[in-house]
Formats: sequence, structure tokens, C-alpha cells
Amino acid sequence: MLRRRQAFRPFATRGRRTIAGILATFALFSTLTVTVSIWATSGSRHRASVLEVAARQRTLAERYVKDVLLARAGAQADPALTGRLLALSADALLNGGVAPAVNGDDDETLLPPASGVTVRAQLRQERRLVRDLTATGSAVLARRPATAVKLTADERLTVRDPVERLRVLSALTSNVSLNAARTIGAEDDRNIGRLIVIEVVLGAIGLLTSLLLAFGLIAATRRQTAHFRSLVTSSTDLVLVFGDGGCRYASESVATMLGHPEDDLLGEGFAGFVHEDDRASVCAAYAHGEPHEIVFRVANEFHEWRHLEAHVTDLRADRQIRGIVLNARDVTERLRLEEELTHQAFHDGLTGLPNRALFRDRLDQSLARSKRSHEGLAVLLLDLDGFKQVNDSLGHDAGDQLLEEVARRFGEVTRPADTLARFGGDEFALLLEGANETQAVAAANRLVRNLSEPIRIAGHELGLGASVGIAMHAGGEAASEELIRHADLAMYAAKEAGRGRHEVFRYDMARELGELLGLEHELRLGLQRGEFSLHYQPEIALDTAAIVGVEALLRWHSPTRGSVPPAEFIPIAEATGLIVPLGEYVLHEACAQTARWLRNAALPEGFVTWTNLSGKQLSAGGVSALVREALEAAELPAGFLGLEVTETALVQEGHAGERARAELQELHELGVRIAVDDFGTGFSSLGQLRSFPVDMIKVDRSFVQGIEHDAKDAAITANLVSLAHALGLLAIAEGIESDGQLTSLRELGCDLAQGHHCGTPMPAAAFERWLSGVRDKPVGQRSDALGEV
Amino acid sequence: MSLRLLVLASLALLACSGCGSGGHEAGAVVRVTERDFRISAPRHVRSGDLLLSVRNRGPDAHELIVVREGSRLPLRRDGSTVSEERLEPVIVGTLEPGQPGSSRKLRLHLAPGHYQLFCNMSGHYLGGMHTKLVVG
Repeated sequence: MLRRRQAFRPFATRGRRTIAGILATFALFSTLTVTVSIWATSGSRHRASVLEVAARQRTLAERYVKDVLLARAGAQADPALTGRLLALSADALLNGGVAPAVNGDDDETLLPPASGVTVRAQLRQERRLVRDLTATGSAVLARRPATAVKLTADERLTVRDPVERLRVLSALTSNVSLNAARTIGAEDDRNIGRLIVIEVVLGAIGLLTSLLLAFGLIAATRRQTAHFRSLVTSSTDLVLVFGDGGCRYASESVATMLGHPEDDLLGEGFAGFVHEDDRASVCAAYAHGEPHEIVFRVANEFHEWRHLEAHVTDLRADRQIRGIVLNARDVTERLRLEEELTHQAFHDGLTGLPNRALFRDRLDQSLARSKRSHEGLAVLLLDLDGFKQVNDSLGHDAGDQLLEEVARRFGEVTRPADTLARFGGDEFALLLEGANETQAVAAANRLVRNLSEPIRIAGHELGLGASVGIAMHAGGEAASEELIRHADLAMYAAKEAGRGRHEVFRYDMARELGELLGLEHELRLGLQRGEFSLHYQPEIALDTAAIVGVEALLRWHSPTRGSVPPAEFIPIAEATGLIVPLGEYVLHEACAQTARWLRNAALPEGFVTWTNLSGKQLSAGGVSALVREALEAAELPAGFLGLEVTETALVQEGHAGERARAELQELHELGVRIAVDDFGTGFSSLGQLRSFPVDMIKVDRSFVQGIEHDAKDAAITANLVSLAHALGLLAIAEGIESDGQLTSLRELGCDLAQGHHCGTPMPAAAFERWLSGVRDKPVGQRSDALGEV
Repeated sequence: MSLRLLVLASLALLACSGCGSGGHEAGAVVRVTERDFRISAPRHVRSGDLLLSVRNRGPDAHELIVVREGSRLPLRRDGSTVSEERLEPVIVGTLEPGQPGSSRKLRLHLAPGHYQLFCNMSGHYLGGMHTKLVVG
């Protein structure tokens, strides 16, 4: 308890004020006591002289009588002088002043005026008696009748003999002098008595006041100490005070956090809980006050390590503390979180494998070692074959499960010293330190082989392959990024060469692959230069042969390559993300063109311009905003625009799928038409289709082409059409190339048709001409087709 | 606390002294006043128990001696005081010197006769401080 209190600075302002109050009380009462003493004793100053002079009067009175008698007998005596001395002394005693010397053996004395009613009355009487005495004496000497002397002090002398009268007067004078001296003495006694009483009372009051203040101070100090203690103990900060003999104070929070009883922490006990590796620095901190900041581990009651971050303050010079204070915080959780974040920053969240950043870091380290040791190393990049299809058809959750399984299988055939990483998507990387080409190829084979066993995901048996690109480093200097790029190129080459293969990087690969990369570059340029345009392919109603809409199709005319078929550039646009700006272009252009036709009053009732939305565009989000923006920019009513989405894009799972469907729903409510493209090739079920915002399904050309001769295709097409009708949707058949197909479809009840036989894709101006020219011609005669793309 | 006790105690004492004077078979109260240099007292009082209430008006201190002696009193050889030694048989009461302003009481039982009251401080008797009292 006492030890603990040392850790606080006990006095705040209040304490200082109370102490000042105590000191002031002492000062006040001391001053009062001294003043009273001076006042009480001041009357007693020169008291010895007064008493001496008063007592002397008695002798003088007797001497006066003797002198008168001697003088009257003719002897040498000076009664007049004695009488004068008597009178002067009596006067000095009463009113103050100089009392004369009497015998030459004493000095003149300065007397204060007499105080006190009784004394002054007696001294006045004495003066009157002296006057009567000396008057009588003078009469005796002059031999005048003494009885004639007028008496002033109320004496009623019955004796007539002059000498007798003189003797009586002398006796009266002596008597009153004596009594006056006694009264003065008694007054002193009274004064002293009074003084004692006053001093005792003052002392008692002063003592009482000081005691009250002191008790108040003690109470205040107690409160303050309690206040500070509760501050320290309720704080989550941990306070430890160390001095000679180890820990002298540990706040309650320490005991609470560590779960050890307080007594175990005091003394040398605390160091026992500190982690062995940290003990030296902790001991140094509390022995010397340095270092000022330490982080150390302490075991709690469950033998778990808590990390404490402590600020060390040397307060050995502080008289209140006389120790070294550790203000510590439990940072265990923070450190854990930091560790986790670091792990997250360098690891793939799905598979727990190192990510690209950590792989690069490891590769840099390996290259640094290789530079010294001249040992070779290999970088393997692996890309899963067919992963995209799994992801698209079974959903992202299945894709994720697959990746986890793949990571596990790769892990089975890699050594602990090798670094296996996931770069993202379905791309993995492996770093083999100290490996030559043979070993690297063997590793690639192991990886691919171990993957060939079918994987069961979401009820499907999936056989996966991987394309492996290998980049070798023979030792010496190299840049990690270059090595990864080489492996990447080798992997592309492997993919190009066919699936499930591995390729070791050669410098001539770069050239071949540059071709592919060049296409991307040109695509970008083409977009900027406006090398893209839209062609429109008519869609007709099968029953009336009326034009009901067009499908807008993208065309690229490159100045260097000529007309590039969409099958060549669309995959690259999708892979590079260029599909998004291309999609925007298509939407804006289609809307603007339709609006122009609308303004020209060239369009029949219920006309719809259909554009294709890629799955990537839908997954990326923002389609709804994009479409509305395009409609607004063209000032086109929503009902004139239709969007064709693939079945797989429509049914994709996960958050992106949800969002895509919500966006389509929103557009559908706005009036935009939605059609499902390539219907029948995907995985969608009847139930799903019912809940989607769809107006029309497009029967895939593969079924249409066999409709005349293949009973199976005809049956499928019939089913698809009746399914569409059952759901209240329109059915359109695409890829119609003959009259026979047209007739069959009409018989099956299909609503709309599209294909070379009905009208080829053509530029906007051509379509406009075509529209006005063939509006009334029968459908079968429109055979100016060039081939749909 | 202590102050209150003190007040209570003194009140009780006063009450007691009151009962004492009233309760006893105290005779007549005789007022005697002393001053420089005269004693004032009644000339005649009835015999029996008397309470002399003696007040000194000063300025000097005075004593009071009561003697059963009607004639002139004998003096000592100093010529300024009465010889109390010779008066011993007839002294019936004495009061020691009292300060000016004080009041004292003297209880006496006086048989009929001639008495004198006087102050025997040096010179006071001759200065006039004596008076006669006839007890009848």
C-alpha cells in the first residue's frame, strides 16, 4: 500500500492551498500571541523603578520628619530638600517623568505615568498627604501653629501637638505609599494571569484550526491518491515501477491482463514472466532507464505470449517515485493484425500461396544468390487449359474450388525449397532454385501429370490440363521481370502449340508472339482512329415477311491488315479488356443510327436494333448506365433498342451475375428489349429463364442448319420454339440460308428469322436503301446475301 | 461547554449564599463605610447577632477592628497605631485590610455595651478613622 502510494505525486493545488492555510494560521496566531504579550507586559516595564521609587517614599517621609525635628533643634538638616524630593517623586509616580536621585548612590529614574484607577487614586492621595506633611513641616520650622495648616487629604487629626501631627501625617503618607506599591504589584499579577489565559485560549484556537486544516489536507490527499490510483488502475495502460529489488508497483491492469496475482509480479517475479530472448533488454530498461522504447513478450496465466510495447521513463531523480516507470500497452492484437495484413499482401487469399509480389521478391533473392554462386534457376509459368469454360459454365464458386484443388495438387509435387505462387486467374508460377533445364522439364511434367487425374467439382468430373512455359537462367546477372516475361511467352507458345504442353523459352519465340501482341496494339489504335464500323443485318417476321429489326454487327477495317474477321479480333479484345470500349462504341453508334432512321421516318412499327453484349461487359458492371447514356445521347426511345446476351453470361453465378441480372432487369423495365443469344447451347434451365428479364430467344444456327434433314435438330428447334412461346417469349432463328429452312421454321411456328437468305449484314446507308427497295418483295427473292459473320 | 458549567456553578453559589444569609438567624445588617479617613456607621444598634457589611471606598486600603471599649484607645510606642495587644481582651472582631472598592462581611454577636470601630493601619486611627457604636 505504502509502496504503491510512492508512485503518485500527492499534492495538487488543493493540498498546497491547505498547507498555506495552516502556515497562515500559525503566523496569525503567533502574531496575535506576541502582540498580546507585548500589550500585556508593556504596563509592567520600568516596574522595578516604579516600585523602588514608591517604596522610597516611605523612607523619605520618615526622613522628612527627622530632618524637621533636627533643623528645629538647630542641627544640620535640609528638610526642604527632603520635602521637595518627596513631592517630585510623588508627582513622577502619578503622572510619569523623572524621579530625582535621593542619596547620590542612586540615579534619576524615568517613570511611566501610573495606570489603573485604584493606583492613581492612591497616588493622588499620597500627593495630597505629602503636601499636607510638608506644609505642616514648614509651619513647625517657622514655629507657626501647625493646627492652622489647611489639610487637603480628608485627615481628621485630633492631636494638636505639631510634632505629633507631623508624625501622623508621615505615617499616613508611608502607609498610602506602601499600599500604592502593593496595588501596582497586584496589578502585575493580574496582568500576568490575564496574559496566561489569553495565550492559552489563542494557542488552543490556533492549534484547533491547524488540526482541522491538517485533517482536511489528509482527507484531500487520500481522495487524490484514490483518484489517481483509480485512474491508473482503471486505465488499460499498464504501469510498472521498478526500483532496487525489482518491480515495486504493478497497476491492477497488469495483473488483470496477465492473470497473475499481483504479489507474483512484484520484486524479481516480473522478470520471470518475460520471454527469455527479451529478458536482457527489459532488465536493462528497468535497471538503467534505457532504451526508452521496448517491445517484449510476457507470458500470461495460460502461457501465451502477450506482446507489450513499453515507454521507459527514468524517474529515479523524482523524489515521489524514485524508480523507473514502464508505461506499457498490450500490442499483441495489433502485431497479429499486422502479421495478417503482411501475409495478405504477399499471399493469394484463395489458395494461400505466395502472390506475384512475393514470387518476384523470392525470385530477386534467388537471382542475387545466383549472381554470386553462378548456379542456374528456372521459372515455370502454368496456365490451366479450359478453366475459363468451367468458370463460365459452373460459376465462380466452382472455379474457386477448382483453383484450390489445383494449388493442392501442384503443392504435392513441389519441393519445400521451391516457391509455388498464384499470379491470379488460372495462372500459377513455380521457382526452382539451382535447377537445370532437364530438371525444370521434369518438374513441368510432374505438375501436368498430377493434374490429369479428374477433379470432382459441383457434381462434375473435370479433366484439366495445363500449358507450361519455362524460362531458364544459367547463372549470373538477370532481371526477374524479364525472366517472368520469358516464361510467359513460352507459355503462350505452349498454348499455341496445343494444350497440355510445355515449352522452354527461346529467343525466336518473342518474334512469333510479337505478332499477337501487335494485333492488340493495332486494335487499340484502330479504336482511336475510328477504323470500326457497324453493319446491320435485317430480321424479318416469318408470317408477314415484314422487317421487324436489325442486328448491329461490328466490323474492323485495318489499313495494314484489311478487313479483319471478328473471330480474330474479338478474343483478343476480350482478353485485353478492349471489349469494353468496343462495346461502348457499338451501343452509341447503334443508338445514333437508329435515331437517325427514326427521324427520317424510315422505320416500320415495332422496329428494334439489336446489339451484342459480351459476357465480360456484363461482368464488369455499369451496363445499365452505359445503355441509358447511349439512349439519351441519341434521344432514342428505349423500345427501339435490344440487347443480345449469351446464355452463359445471363446465368453466371456470384455477385457479378446478380448485378448483371439486376442491371438487365432495370433496362428491361425501361423498355429495352432483351434477347438470349445462342439459346440451347448453355446450361440454363426452364425455371431460370422464367425469372430473367427476357423478351426473345435466339435459336442457334447449328440447329437451324440441320432443320430440313436432321430430325433431331428439327425436334430441338421445335421444342425451343414451343418453350419460348410457353414462356411468352418470341423465338428468332438465325443463320437461315435457304427457302426450305424458312418454310420449315414457319411450320414450326417460329416468329422471326435472320440470315443471308433474309438479308446480309450491310452498312447503314445500304440498309436504308434496301429497306425502301425491298419492302414489298417476297422474302424468298432476297438472295443477295454475301454471308453472315 | 466549560463556560456554561462555570456560569451554572456561579449561579448555584450565588443562590447558596443568598439562602445562607436569609436562612441563618442573622441579625440586623449594619452598613459600614470606610474611606480616607473616616468610618461611617450607625451610632446605635440592637444587641445580638449583627452582620457588618463593610465597604471600602478608598483610596487607601483599610482594615476594621471592633473593640468593646468606649473610651480613648491606647497607642503603641510608635505613636501612630493603636496597641491591639493591650486591647486583646476586648477585641470582638477584625477584618484584614481590604482593597479600595471591596465589600466584606463581618458576623458579630454583640452584647449591650459601648463599642468602637477603627482602622489600625499606620496613622489611620489618629487620622480620624474611628467611630463609636452603642449596642442596646
